[in-house]
Amino acid sequence: MLEVKGIDVSYGHARVVHDLNLRLDRGEMVFIVGRNGAGKTTLLKTVAGLLRPVKGTITFQDKEIHGLPAEKLARRGFRFVAQEKKVFSSLTVRSNIELAAHGAGEDLDTALKKATSIYPDLSRFMDKKAGGLSGGQREILLIGRALIGEPKILLIDEPTEGLAVIVIEDIFRILREMKEKVSAVIVEQNLSVVSRLADRIYIMKEGKIIKEFANKAEIADITELERYL
Amino acid sequence: MRSTTRHMPLPAGSITKSLVSRDLAFVAAGFVALAIVMKMHWAIDFMIFCIFVLSYDLLYGYMGHLSFGHMLYFGAGAYGSAIWLAHVNANPFLAIMAGLFAGALLSSFLGLIALQTHGASFALINMAFNEIGFFLIHSALSDYTYGEDGLSCTAGKLFGFINFYNERHSFIFVLVLLLLVFWLLRTLTVSPFGVLVRSIKEDENRVKFLGYNTMTYKWITFVSASILAALAGGMFTMIQGFVSPITISPFGNVDVIFAVLIGGAGNLYGALIGGVAFMLIKNFLPVLIPELEKLVPFQVPQWEMWLGIVLLVTVFALRKGLVGFVRQKWQHRRQVGVVS
Amino acid sequence: MIETIAYGCTIGAILYFFSIGLAITFGTMHIINFAHGTVYALGAYLFVTFLSLMGGVFPLALAASIAAMLPVAYVIERFVIRRLYGESMDYAMIATYGVLLIGTELTKMVWGTTPQPINDPVGISLSLVGVYLSLYRIIVVASAIALFFALRAFFNRSVVGRIVVAALEDNEGVRCLGIDVNRYFSIVFVLGSSLAVLGGVLYAPISTVDPYMGFDILLLAFAVVIVGGMGNLNGTFFSALLLGMVMAITGRYWSQAAHAMVFMVMAIVLVKDSLFRTIRRLFGIRTA
Repeated sequence: MLEVKGIDVSYGHARVVHDLNLRLDRGEMVFIVGRNGAGKTTLLKTVAGLLRPVKGTITFQDKEIHGLPAEKLARRGFRFVAQEKKVFSSLTVRSNIELAAHGAGEDLDTALKKATSIYPDLSRFMDKKAGGLSGGQREILLIGRALIGEPKILLIDEPTEGLAVIVIEDIFRILREMKEKVSAVIVEQNLSVVSRLADRIYIMKEGKIIKEFANKAEIADITELERYL
Repeated sequence: MRSTTRHMPLPAGSITKSLVSRDLAFVAAGFVALAIVMKMHWAIDFMIFCIFVLSYDLLYGYMGHLSFGHMLYFGAGAYGSAIWLAHVNANPFLAIMAGLFAGALLSSFLGLIALQTHGASFALINMAFNEIGFFLIHSALSDYTYGEDGLSCTAGKLFGFINFYNERHSFIFVLVLLLLVFWLLRTLTVSPFGVLVRSIKEDENRVKFLGYNTMTYKWITFVSASILAALAGGMFTMIQGFVSPITISPFGNVDVIFAVLIGGAGNLYGALIGGVAFMLIKNFLPVLIPELEKLVPFQVPQWEMWLGIVLLVTVFALRKGLVGFVRQKWQHRRQVGVVS
Repeated sequence: MIETIAYGCTIGAILYFFSIGLAITFGTMHIINFAHGTVYALGAYLFVTFLSLMGGVFPLALAASIAAMLPVAYVIERFVIRRLYGESMDYAMIATYGVLLIGTELTKMVWGTTPQPINDPVGISLSLVGVYLSLYRIIVVASAIALFFALRAFFNRSVVGRIVVAALEDNEGVRCLGIDVNRYFSIVFVLGSSLAVLGGVLYAPISTVDPYMGFDILLLAFAVVIVGGMGNLNGTFFSALLLGMVMAITGRYWSQAAHAMVFMVMAIVLVKDSLFRTIRRLFGIRTA
């Protein structure tokens, strides 16, 4: 469904991603793992349309999409959740979802129902300013926003980063609910979460994919994963 | 912020003396040719403006700090010298020194303030200072500066024999000065100091992380650029024998920004080419326009409009200026194998 | 003194109309738009023409001027501003300054260089707190206050307003929701330009209309935006009033220093942080 072939991405003068290949099939949940600075965020942003690759191609459902801007890709079903957990802090939670609904062309009630279905507690915060939410609540709001409309590919950057263990379990549950319903590429450093959810794992180092794990047994073995980091 | 592409700077010392001499000879020849083609006093005006452009190129082209208020220092030099000549004595050397001193003093203090800001704020705060300076000269201190009417001043002979009212003397003196400034900036920009300043333009934070106190370097560059601008202003006073608030007018900043852009920012030759190009446009377009108006049945726009159009064109098409444009073509031909 | 304060409020109101567009453009696109001065001046000149064409009916001429300037604002946005997205601020300033020059020349070509005086359209003075105040100027100030609340409502309650507020904070986030942020920025740009036209028209009866009026107000508007906090739209209102006052009060005692005083305030605001630090250090007060 999604094919990334031989892409190079630059950040300023530095070449951050080298000749990278990646594949995502429908319904798969693929994880990208690697140390800080490996280029994972750059890769994700490029697929999302926020950056352009200098070289290489990205195809989605057999159509070339590299170079298309983020807003166009979003309307084709791409949903990107950034690492910094930035929400629209001066708007209410409801308004955050409202904007997502506006962008996706979905009516507000359906959108609100979708958001609260993944996390019922969200309804308590509807009229609270999004800036007052905790880190975990923000991530949940962001994932909720991403699920509005008809998302085809979720691109999530470090969902559990900086969160308490209990909250990580919440995120884990939500992601598990989404498995098979939505295809996703997720950057994640928490290997426990990764090994329990992943269909496939890419290990990324210094801008390149150095190893791919597709075997269930290998994925379940965290120490094996750690060896490559 | 985008930086202009340039070849990597050579380490200090590997620029051989002959290369520098070659450049200086080139520049000198260029202006002598100009003086032959046009009247000598045009060439002198051009050269004074070029010194000003060079000073601005140091600030904007090399250090990447756009300022909308550099005329303040030109004016400081011009009025500093003029006031000395008019109120103290006719010694031109001291007068020029007075102008330079005014520029140095002003920029040392104002630079400390302005350099706390970046980008748009920096450009605007300098504009504000320029406006305040203009106000002071035009109104507040008009007892000394005679405000709108301007100040006439006469200079004696420099070092006893250089007479500013003799065209040939002035031409040679200003040319020597220009070559000196060119040489100075050439040496400065390839020195470790210059490399650091250019690095600040590229990425100031990185330079800070390397442990340098960027403020010091920025301040030195700012003050140097301002002193050179004051030098140009002082020479203006010497040659013209008259100053008016127009020498400190904020509108003048567009002229020098334009010159730097059209020549190619961050390039000393570019500064000279831009300066000459601008002066040509400024002085000959107003002559062309009435001629043009005779030919066409409708009103031809005045030269400011052309300036605006050229600014737009430069930003959207000729970003690297004429020099950059020529360089790109040259490199392209090299790559294609046309030039060996 | 009351008259001075009233005058200060009026100037502040005009500054607000003009500066808000500048603040919006800077907050959304990080572009310092010198061309804003052109729409202001051009709008004022068009108003003068329309006024005589429409038999002196002020509101009609006002509406006509704004309507006539909408396409101009659109053209500027489409062919200049849009190309400057993501560019370095320097080039944006230079390019828009070019537009300003072109616009000023066009104005001179069409209308000539002599300033055009306009009469007070209302012509009534009210007696308030012991002084006669021009009703027209009261209307201007009232309009500014109304605008302040209208903009707040716009940004808080309308979808477009909320999109812009969200995009100001997280441009990429809005784009990733499938919303074409640039299109909304364009809309707000035209809105801001219309407000500038309004400001120019309202100012015309108070002072004269001359080709360089755009330049004059631009610098003051920069001061307003900086003092109010770049990108802080609420702050723009208060700083406009403040600086209007500064100008009026300074102007009363030393008329030519009015502009310069505004710039002093701006300079102080720009460096207040380091100024405080230096003062603290000078007096040996330990900073945190």
